[in-house]
Amino acid sequence: MPPLIAIRGLRKTYRMGDENVHALDGVDLDFQKGEFVAILGPSGSGKSTLMHILGFMDTPSEGSIVFDGEEVARLDPDRRAWYRSHRVGFVFQAFNLLPRLTIEENVALPLLYRDGSDPEANLAAARAALERVGMTHRLGHRPSQLSGGERQRVAVARAIVGTPSIIFADEPTGNLDVKNVDRVLDLLGSLIKEGITVVLVTHDLAVAEKAHRVISMRAGLVQEDRVR
Amino acid sequence: MTRLFDRVRPAVINGLRELQANKVRSLLSMSGIILGVASLVAMVTVVQGMVGNFRQFVDAMGGIEKLTVVREQLPKEQEHLAELSEGLTMRDVERIRRTAPLIRNISPEARVGYEKIVHEDREMNTYVTGVTADYLPVAKRWVEPDQGRFVSDLDVLNMTDVIVLGSAIASELFAPNVSPVGRVVKVRGRRFTVIGVLNNIEGTGMQVRSASSRSSGGAWRWRNSGAFIPVSTALTKYNGNDRLSGLGLRIADPDQLRDAVDQTERTMLAAHKGLRDFSISTNEQTLEDFRKTEAAFKLSLGGVAGISLFVGGIGIMNVMLASINERIREIGVRKAVGARGSDLFLQFLAEAAVVSVVGGLIGLVVSVGIVVLMNFILMQALPTGAVATLDWVIMGEGLAFSVVIGLVAGVYPALRAAKLDPIEALRHE
Repeated sequence: MPPLIAIRGLRKTYRMGDENVHALDGVDLDFQKGEFVAILGPSGSGKSTLMHILGFMDTPSEGSIVFDGEEVARLDPDRRAWYRSHRVGFVFQAFNLLPRLTIEENVALPLLYRDGSDPEANLAAARAALERVGMTHRLGHRPSQLSGGERQRVAVARAIVGTPSIIFADEPTGNLDVKNVDRVLDLLGSLIKEGITVVLVTHDLAVAEKAHRVISMRAGLVQEDRVR
Repeated sequence: MTRLFDRVRPAVINGLRELQANKVRSLLSMSGIILGVASLVAMVTVVQGMVGNFRQFVDAMGGIEKLTVVREQLPKEQEHLAELSEGLTMRDVERIRRTAPLIRNISPEARVGYEKIVHEDREMNTYVTGVTADYLPVAKRWVEPDQGRFVSDLDVLNMTDVIVLGSAIASELFAPNVSPVGRVVKVRGRRFTVIGVLNNIEGTGMQVRSASSRSSGGAWRWRNSGAFIPVSTALTKYNGNDRLSGLGLRIADPDQLRDAVDQTERTMLAAHKGLRDFSISTNEQTLEDFRKTEAAFKLSLGGVAGISLFVGGIGIMNVMLASINERIREIGVRKAVGARGSDLFLQFLAEAAVVSVVGGLIGLVVSVGIVVLMNFILMQALPTGAVATLDWVIMGEGLAFSVVIGLVAGVYPALRAAKLDPIEALRHE
């Protein structure tokens, strides 16, 4: 089976003052469908840049990305937005739920930006996603009324509501207490059963160990790619 | 089209929610629009009321179709011919009638003076003027059918002692239940039979008062006083000469005003053997002055309203920029989950539009309040009629103005939101 994502020779160069910074310096990786992968590395290793490029929030300076059989390295912004709303989900360290929207509305947000989206259908899909993460008891609440663990489960629901192919979780446990860390990681890990590729981006080895494959990065290069 | 609507609708709903969530801030940001729309609508409404007032004023002076001929001192170069000047006489009336076809009516007027009119134990001072039947069309007056009749040609021919009273004079001289027609009044000892009462101007839809009028009867009071007798009676029995105090002319076609003035002037000059012992004036100048005043009013008030709307627009832009700064994180999240730049552009443009439309609506309510208040104040001063009536067209224009301002003010902040880099935005603390 072809990989979900195949990247070859990926480079990202920033101009910082007079210097060129190579955030990614030639990365070749494959991500399989339904894989639970951790990208491990200290800050500045290029793991966030890789996540942003694979998550269609940024474009590489060089190299190719084949996503589900299509070359996507150089898409225009609207096309990248389409991929973000249809094929990708994000879970952030800081949850990033919108304070003025209810829990269901937060979860339904990715569907709002799809063409021909129907508010009723969106909310129904949001409720189904919230059921999947065990948060149906808080539909009408605001994020501020929820605990950190609950908020992150809502964020996971938002990431899966659009039935994406891949979810990027950027330090998803960084703001959680011990009890909730495992719960959220287990929840993320369980998504692979639905064929979703889950990519954990972290600097925490203990978190990375939860994944089935750990890619270690340093200075814009893949240092180690280890399947456990 | 439906797709655009599908995108605009959630943006507008979102805008209304933002407004609800930030009531005080939103109200402050719309204050400029509220003031702008309120002043624009209230001022235009009031100016239109004043314009109507002016029009009626000019109309009451006989309108644009009236010319006035009065006697003048001879110019310096003709002073030595002063003894040849006969002034204005009934002969001028005949000459103009014969040789100036553009003139439809000629009303000779011979002022008797400011006289005491006595009826039984009541008396009243007013101007008594000798006129002919043509006074009515020239002055645009009439006598209501149940109020008798005006001076007729026969009265002039027979030099009868009949008098027509202004309604204000009649109501002073006679009790309300007494009909003046057929009664006898005395003017300087001479007995006159009242044959009619002129129409009451205050009672004929003259709603609008001049601002300078005082509480006792309004600006039109002078129009309702006065008393009129046949011109022949005035000249022969009072003045003892044939000199008229003036001629009122009504032209057939207002578009031929200039030609009518020329025609009259030539006729008069020929009749007066080239002596310039008269002058012809029109209401054109008054009307022109009034048009200038109207334009100046509209310009200055429009300017004031325009400036406040401009300031209102800047206020909205400012608050939108502040709001976007506060919500950079939100913009990042929305982009991360799939919003295009155009989605965020629409969202923030809709927010600005919602703020300005709500502001505009509040402004309209305030403007209604202002107009009602001004009418109330002016009605205290002037017992009849309203100053200005609310006009849906003006209100619609005011609202449309606010929408445009909101959209224009929203474009720059919305563009900024649309152009934010999602990664930077998500990192924003």
